[in-house]
Amino acid sequence: MSKRHMLALYNNFDEAEAVVRELRSTEIKGFKAADDLIVKSPIEHPEVEKFLGHKPVNVQWFTLLGATLGGLLAFTLISGSQANFYAQMKGGKPIVPIPPDLVLTYEMFILGGVYITVLGFLICAGLPAKRSALYSAKVSEDQIGLLVTVDDSSAATLRNIFTKHQALEIQEEAGK
Amino acid sequence: MSVSNLLENWSKFRHNHPVEDKGHPDWQAYPSEIKWAMAIDLDACTGCNACSVACYAENNLPVVGKEKYSHGQAMHWMRIERYWDEDNREFPDQGAQFLPMLCQQCEAAPCETVCPVGATNHTEDGLNSQIYNRCIGSRYCSANCPYKVRYFNWYDYPSTENVWPAPMEQQLNPDLTVRGKGVMEKCTFCKQRTYTARNNAKTEGRKIHDGDVQTACQQACPTNAISFGNLFDPESRVAKQWEQQQVELIKAEQEKDVKPGNNLRGYRIFEELRPYPSVMYLERVRENGV
Amino acid sequence: MGKDIREDIAWAQINTDVLKSLENPRKLFWVIIFVALMMFGVGVGCEVYQYQTGMGVAGLNNPNVWGLYIATFIFWIGMSHSGTLLSAILHLMHADWRKPIYRFAEAMTTFSLMTAGLFVMVHLGRLWQFYYAVPYPNERWTWPNFQSPLLWDAMAIFTYLSSSVIFLYVGSIPDFAICRDNVHPGWRKKLYTLLALGWEGTDRQWRNFRVTYLTVACFLIPLAVSVHSIVASDFAMSQQPGWHVTSFPPYFVAGALYSGCAAIITLFIILRYVFKFEEYMTMPILKKTVRLTFAIAMVWTYLNWVEFATVWYSHDEVAKGVLIDKATGRFAPFWWAMNFCGSVVPFTMMIKRLQTNIPVMFAVSLLLNLGMWLERFMIVSPTFSHGYYPWTMDANYWPSMVQWGIVFGSFGWFTLLFMTFCKIVPSVSMYEVKEMVYHRSLATKKAELGLEGGH
Repeated sequence: MSKRHMLALYNNFDEAEAVVRELRSTEIKGFKAADDLIVKSPIEHPEVEKFLGHKPVNVQWFTLLGATLGGLLAFTLISGSQANFYAQMKGGKPIVPIPPDLVLTYEMFILGGVYITVLGFLICAGLPAKRSALYSAKVSEDQIGLLVTVDDSSAATLRNIFTKHQALEIQEEAGK
Repeated sequence: MSVSNLLENWSKFRHNHPVEDKGHPDWQAYPSEIKWAMAIDLDACTGCNACSVACYAENNLPVVGKEKYSHGQAMHWMRIERYWDEDNREFPDQGAQFLPMLCQQCEAAPCETVCPVGATNHTEDGLNSQIYNRCIGSRYCSANCPYKVRYFNWYDYPSTENVWPAPMEQQLNPDLTVRGKGVMEKCTFCKQRTYTARNNAKTEGRKIHDGDVQTACQQACPTNAISFGNLFDPESRVAKQWEQQQVELIKAEQEKDVKPGNNLRGYRIFEELRPYPSVMYLERVRENGV
Repeated sequence: MGKDIREDIAWAQINTDVLKSLENPRKLFWVIIFVALMMFGVGVGCEVYQYQTGMGVAGLNNPNVWGLYIATFIFWIGMSHSGTLLSAILHLMHADWRKPIYRFAEAMTTFSLMTAGLFVMVHLGRLWQFYYAVPYPNERWTWPNFQSPLLWDAMAIFTYLSSSVIFLYVGSIPDFAICRDNVHPGWRKKLYTLLALGWEGTDRQWRNFRVTYLTVACFLIPLAVSVHSIVASDFAMSQQPGWHVTSFPPYFVAGALYSGCAAIITLFIILRYVFKFEEYMTMPILKKTVRLTFAIAMVWTYLNWVEFATVWYSHDEVAKGVLIDKATGRFAPFWWAMNFCGSVVPFTMMIKRLQTNIPVMFAVSLLLNLGMWLERFMIVSPTFSHGYYPWTMDANYWPSMVQWGIVFGSFGWFTLLFMTFCKIVPSVSMYEVKEMVYHRSLATKKAELGLEGGH
């Protein structure tokens, strides 16, 4: 059975939520609400987690890695360079002075944290993303979109569910 | 430059100036049994400026001209400062005092820690070094110097007119560079002379004797007010003077200053700021002090 | 006070209003760009002259080795802090009123930092070798001196600038998507398509976005505080009288927030008028910003006076000498002007009627920033003129026209950058304003239901 995409647009989060709940509770052949459904919205809406089901966010693991690496690398490199270049002694100060090294370690800890967090964001969010098969500019304006991947046979079922909840527009991919 | 070298020799390298021990690193060419220091007798000083001129000649200092001098952009590594005692005396000129001020070669120099590129450091023979080709001209070292004895090349003097008008460029010292614009410079205790003296001593397999090397200012002074030498050599004139005056290099406050009834003339300027300067001044004997 | 924003604004309307600001600019825009370019040209000309002749043309001497370049450098770094304050700190505190204004504030941060970076270069005697301060492996095994506060500056500002740019960009991705969807085909559409990274507002994208934004905000706050503390330690870590003051780091951070908030008020008023953003940059939000600025002004005033008090009560004759010289010496008019602009002028912001009086607040914000620039000038120069060493005290110093020219040019540079920004990136964050409207409408509905339920 070939898969096709359908995009339904709704006026607000409540209607979209109702649709998603119904989709999750109904048995539809070739469709798993957890995997084949994407909610697109113009603003973030943490409550989406509640009706979509919890999905983990891994960005902060990247943060931990980046920050610790940044700090460690900075301290090692800086003290290493100071220790190896004892020909440039500064009178009255030790060769590897801890306070300045800590200041720079702190800065690089933050640098590493920020850079790797953003890298993690790009990886976890899948950006840059290939554009979806179906998209409506209204999603970036004021409507909520539900994009589903479904078998041809179940398309009609889904269409009914969508229309039942006052979908403003339903887009369908032309049959392959 | 390797980790193993570093670990083996850590105890030798890890020392601070000012050092209380004499266990200095045993560098190949220059064993650090040398600590260059100076003593300037202000009673003998007549303010004649011969030292300043000699320094100009020895170290390729540019003569900046009247206009730039009045803007405060002079390059005199050794400067004679004039102070006047205005106490309604009968002969006002007797109130003049002269202070030859030069880089104090501080053991814990405030300038060394703040250079962003590490152009100023402490050498193993106790001098504060300035590396011209590393300097990017941030001038933080001068900002931090309490004595303001660091001089910045505000213009490109080699290419400026009338700095060394012909045939004066013939007398430039080939032993050191002529600095271009944007670089900080200061007194080096005539590095080119001490370097040569140490080389000669090493070649001859002996230690440096007192008098082997004279700085240009010391050499030119008509009254022998300046004495220069190795502070770690007990036989040198400068070491004897420091000892007589009970001034110790590594103290921020000398014991003699704490005790009452101190008649000794020796002092260091801004000692309380703890840069541990290497230049000791001998206070002028005043009429009322005798 | 009134509502920060009307809760019945249609989201589509928000898109339209903000996207209108990205349309082809009117003639006045080009006039101002031309003026800014001329100003910048003056700065460039002065710098070229200085580069070729030497730093002496700046009027600097021994001991006055630092001048307006360092003072203005600190001024621009300071101005950058409020963008972070608004973006990051107020975000953590769920202060919704920041939503319409933080985008241009963050842009101000980024461009202030870029301008400050110029001054570091201009200040160096051998600018062409500035890269010696960058830690890179080389055949001579030389590294920069990590003990130097100037080098910490270099590292910290690099971190802050790159993090701010990243933060600004990541926060704008949803807005770039809106632009991409609504702009006519052409170079703009291609640019926005590239910048939007294929953003479609999926739940996966929003989920990760939320966490990322929060995390980076959490990093940016200590970063902002540490950056200006490090800039302050250029002075505090030295021994010079008037500089070796432990309260300098917080004093500088307070001054930074102060001048940044004043700049935000200035830009707020300008953008509101130029782009007709009255619905979004509302009077209640202006009021809140003004009150925030006043609070910071009082913090700065306190720290300023604490510095005077500690010097006055100390036995440090040299530091006292510097303070007395500031108040009575050559720089006295500027010092008193600084105190007036920084401590007295803010009280106009406490007069309720004036808090939303646009011309008055515009003038006040400019005066506050003048005061802050004078503050930096007063930190740098008097210590050199009246330092430890008496012999140096008669070196009369005044910044030359070259210095003034470069300072003048930096404002042109900043204006150029900011105006370009306003025409390419939406200066009001559309998706955040929608969130603001959404949450308010939810709150209103709840209140209405609550009222009904109560009866």
